[in-house]
Amino acid sequence: MLKFIIRRSLIAIPQLFLLSVLIFLLAQAMPGDALSGKFINSPNLDPAYQSELRDKLGLNDPWHEQYVRWIGNLVQGELGMSYVHNVKVETMLESRIANTFWLGLATLILTYLIAVPLGVIAGRLPDTNMDKFIVTYSYVSFSIPIFVFALIMLYIFGFTLDWFPTGGSVDVRTEPGSWDWYVSKLHHLLLPALSSALLATTSTIQYLRNEIIDTKLKDFVKTARAKGTPERKVYTRHIFRNSLLPVAAFLGYDIVYILSGSIFIEQIFSYPGLGQLFVDSIQQRDFAVVNVLVMLFGVLSILGTLLSDIILSIVDPRIRID
Amino acid sequence: MTFLKVENLKVYYPVRGGFFRRVIDHVKAVDDITFELKEGETYGLVGESGCGKTTTGRTIIGLNRPTAGKIFFNDIELTKLKRRDFYQYRKDIQMIFQDPYSSLNPRKRVLDIIAEPIRNFEKLSPNEEKTKVMDVLEKVGLSPESIYKYPHEFSGGQRQRIGIARALTLNPKLIIADEPVSALDVSVQAQVLNFMKDIQKEFNLTYLFISHDLGIIRHMCDRIGIMYRGRLVEEGTKDEIFEYPQHIYTKRLLSSIPQMNPEERIQHTAFRRKVNEEFKNNYDKYFDAEGKIFDLKPISETHSVALP
Amino acid sequence: MATPVVNNTNTDLEKVKSPSGFKIIVREFLKDKVALISLILFVGIVLYVYIYSLGLDTREVTRVDIFNQFREPGAEHWLGTDYGGRDVFNQLILGARNSLTIGIAITLITSIIGIALGLLAGYYGGWVDNVIMRTVDFVLVLPALMIIIVYVSIVPEFNVLKFIFIMSLFYWTSKCRLVRSKALAERELEYVAASKTLGTPDWKIMLFNVLPNLSSIIIVNMTLNLAGNIGIETSLTYLGFGLPENVPSLGTLISYSRNPEVMENKPWVWLPAAILILVLMLCINFIGNALKRAADARQRLG
Repeated sequence: MLKFIIRRSLIAIPQLFLLSVLIFLLAQAMPGDALSGKFINSPNLDPAYQSELRDKLGLNDPWHEQYVRWIGNLVQGELGMSYVHNVKVETMLESRIANTFWLGLATLILTYLIAVPLGVIAGRLPDTNMDKFIVTYSYVSFSIPIFVFALIMLYIFGFTLDWFPTGGSVDVRTEPGSWDWYVSKLHHLLLPALSSALLATTSTIQYLRNEIIDTKLKDFVKTARAKGTPERKVYTRHIFRNSLLPVAAFLGYDIVYILSGSIFIEQIFSYPGLGQLFVDSIQQRDFAVVNVLVMLFGVLSILGTLLSDIILSIVDPRIRID
Repeated sequence: MTFLKVENLKVYYPVRGGFFRRVIDHVKAVDDITFELKEGETYGLVGESGCGKTTTGRTIIGLNRPTAGKIFFNDIELTKLKRRDFYQYRKDIQMIFQDPYSSLNPRKRVLDIIAEPIRNFEKLSPNEEKTKVMDVLEKVGLSPESIYKYPHEFSGGQRQRIGIARALTLNPKLIIADEPVSALDVSVQAQVLNFMKDIQKEFNLTYLFISHDLGIIRHMCDRIGIMYRGRLVEEGTKDEIFEYPQHIYTKRLLSSIPQMNPEERIQHTAFRRKVNEEFKNNYDKYFDAEGKIFDLKPISETHSVALP
Repeated sequence: MATPVVNNTNTDLEKVKSPSGFKIIVREFLKDKVALISLILFVGIVLYVYIYSLGLDTREVTRVDIFNQFREPGAEHWLGTDYGGRDVFNQLILGARNSLTIGIAITLITSIIGIALGLLAGYYGGWVDNVIMRTVDFVLVLPALMIIIVYVSIVPEFNVLKFIFIMSLFYWTSKCRLVRSKALAERELEYVAASKTLGTPDWKIMLFNVLPNLSSIIIVNMTLNLAGNIGIETSLTYLGFGLPENVPSLGTLISYSRNPEVMENKPWVWLPAAILILVLMLCINFIGNALKRAADARQRLG
């Protein structure tokens, strides 16, 4: 067990290293460098002075030296300067991280609130109309592109019915920290989170359903029934306990899925989070910010997958890989 | 000239463990065995499951890689050959597989299954090929019209005949039969076995017959090698093995054959007890200090036993 | 002569049990009305789109006509016009054609890569398997969408081929995993060993013995992948990082909705494309699931 966790974690290290090299190379291919932002206000600066500055900053060093310096800075939390806005990248991330975090959390909670009951019902009553409906929903939700679904949700509930705000993360007229401010935040979160959650349920529903159907046929459940355990207790004590645990393992995969979806969701709902920042930065060709974001999402996705693999290996030894 | 000679063959599998998955031990599937086959005979390899008899057969035909040792076929050292040459020489060695269900590709027609070796080694026109396949099919007792059928349309015994037909198409000299009837109904087993005997005469085949079933071995084989834990414990002609078994393991194997005749049953039980006792009491006589089996020592011209 | 009789009945039974692959599929579709309707609808849409688009010229369709801006749907433009006065219906047809074509191209390319690597990994095992699977693991944890977006925005002379290339680079992994796991199981079957003893070279065994036995799950997977790939392409195009401007896609039409005015008051511009995507995706998925059931005897409906 411990051996598996350590070995699985060790796989993440070369992954992180390769990711950083890849992003560094991408960064090299991007136009502009750390000085572009500085010169934006003084375009007439002497080119000779510019190249002197570049020398001083080490921008003309061999690439591996630059890489070491770059990764060193990243690790120490120095993310560099935005080319366009001439502010530290950290500053630009600060408020957005919180927004994306809350959106992600709300999405996760909604996902489980929808998926777990549906999975349980489908698993408990397989081959009924209810089950067929749930299974169809899980297939359908798997196949719809998130941006189309989010757009239609926004059009119906945001624009046509006017139940939800159509953009932003909070009503700017409310006082930060006040009750109204929190309510407004939640109100802004709900529609994007719901759009994302409704499509993120597939794997949980299907896993839970199959797991419950399988567990029902296991000997220990038959034994429990044979002993005369009430049907309700059979489910709560024996079946759910065995089937629900693995669902927790999807946490990491779900985080990765929701993160990549946030690029679309935040764009569609004009929600000021990391995903929107990424698209904006690309459009403004602010590659300093882009780089940091790709690295951040990459690291989160490596860690998320790692988390899920580990939880899964603990709760479901069948899946443990070597 | 030796027909087939297996010399000091070893097939080890690494056991990996520990944190870095280093090789910490070996499973000695086949551990230093030597035997010889004469042309036209049937040599039986017997032993319990996991004793290495199948591995030996698969190594001779090239499905497994030997760890050490030499295999000679018609005085050519197969183990030294390059892959490409190996195919050429190995044409003369073919195999009949245990499971007639998984050994025939379910998606191929009988024609394609039987023609597979022809397509690899001979350039025949589609018509010649078809004639040849129908010819072989007829020889194994199946209707030549069934070339367009799929394997699932046949019964187990018929499928095994298809497998045999496939092995026969290249006119091989040696056939390795790995438990060829153990997946078949008992009623069909005798049919297939007798058929194998018939074609042996007709095509002058040599069999390496691998089985755990002593009854079948007795029915089929001229000479027998008993394998235990990757080594040969005894080798001899059929009569020597069945009438004068020397090694305790051979005796145990023989004592495990159920007795059909009810009158001899009590006698048989007593024999079993005796063998069991001997096994317990004289263990040191048959195995060395580490529990390893000794090397074979000849006790007559044809009979060898692993004794110290 | 009792045995042959028994054998014959066995043969007959098995004949009844295993009808040809095509018959199974037909039966599955007849049982599953949703899948049948999906199939008819999908084939209809695809035929209509490809045939109708033969008469369309991309430059003609995308020519700006400022006087016809935002016409509502009517007799002349029966899905109305967009901000450039261009006919929405014609754009929808062209977009559908391009999205489908590119989706199919990406599916084929990723399938070839995934099947080839998956077969090698599963058939040979050992270090080959290790190298390929660690690569797959790595590609899977990469933030693919972001890297594609970055690539699209920095690569010089961006065009459709480059888009197909970068997409294919990331989306072969699931197929590779699938084929590998099935090939791993398949190579343990004795017919593979038999082929080896008959002197068939490894590449022939992989291509002509193992691969055909995986064909049904590969076809199912390709169907579902097609939906996924069209989804990703239109998503990226919607954000402005997909197909270049001279190749309109369904995503292009939907991207007009990023203007809230269009979104709220001129839904005829973007809604048909969104609905067409939905319909296509659903059709493909229902077809794929019916095929999946046909391929897996335990799940068959009839």
